[in-house]
Amino acid sequence: MTAIPIGAHLILAALIFTVGLVGVLIRRNLIVLFMCVELMLNAVNLTLVAASRIWGAADGQVFTFFIIVVAAAEVVVGLAILVNLFFRRGTVDVDVPSLLRS
Amino acid sequence: MGETIAFLVFAGIALGAAVAVVAMRNLVHAALMLVIHLLAVAGLYLGLESQFLAVIQVLVYAGAIVVLFLFVIMLLGVDRDDLLVAQGRRAVAGAVAVGLVLAGALTFAFVGPYTGEASVCGSDVAPTGTEQSCAGIAPVLDADDDAGVAFLGRRLFTRYTLAFELSAVLLTVATIGAVVLARRRDLSPEDEDLPTGEVTA
Repeated sequence: MTAIPIGAHLILAALIFTVGLVGVLIRRNLIVLFMCVELMLNAVNLTLVAASRIWGAADGQVFTFFIIVVAAAEVVVGLAILVNLFFRRGTVDVDVPSLLRS
Repeated sequence: MGETIAFLVFAGIALGAAVAVVAMRNLVHAALMLVIHLLAVAGLYLGLESQFLAVIQVLVYAGAIVVLFLFVIMLLGVDRDDLLVAQGRRAVAGAVAVGLVLAGALTFAFVGPYTGEASVCGSDVAPTGTEQSCAGIAPVLDADDDAGVAFLGRRLFTRYTLAFELSAVLLTVATIGAVVLARRRDLSPEDEDLPTGEVTA
């Protein structure tokens, strides 16, 4: 067995991103949609860390650090909105018409 | 050799857990699969010489974000998955087709430039044509900087200082926003003129 090239990480990240995208497209629950967005963000993080190793520079790792910060903020606000939405509408199904109409 | 085995194990776990997040009917199970996926990705970061990010991944993602997900799932009591089934069969097939096209295109772009002998980190093979060699992080680290924390921190606090400060503002805004959104509106009488909508839960 030989050593793996760096492209294996990139291909794996592409596959994880695709899985997250398909999840966003086919699931109806808002919470699962959030989780699938997290999957896609993670795939991008993996790509950036691999790029950081390819060029021996810290920038990719710094970008990943900021993406984690922004993802945390996004999840906090998104889940707060989701809880409010559920208490007002009684559902988190994104296929229900007028889910966001007041 | 050890690096290859570690990559294959973590990659398999990460991909399988990602598929499970999408496929699981029970929301709690999906969130737990997300934890497994995030831990496997942290293991991949270790293989990519990014120990600090691996720790941050475990702390922030697996420690905080997924706990928040589980908290909301259990607070709302929506873990029994009645309405969460996928849309019509044709929509699912279309989404999977889009995903396959995207994955194929990305893989086609990566195979070749990044998968040759020269793209193995630390190899002495000279890159030919469009091949991209892999420099690796170990050669540029200081002698006493095993985990690459100083390497990351030096760049973070020089070129990206403004972004760092802005992320502090962003976290403050997110905290205030979450507090405002989570505030109960039915306590004080002067708030009664606010539109509350019909409460069905």
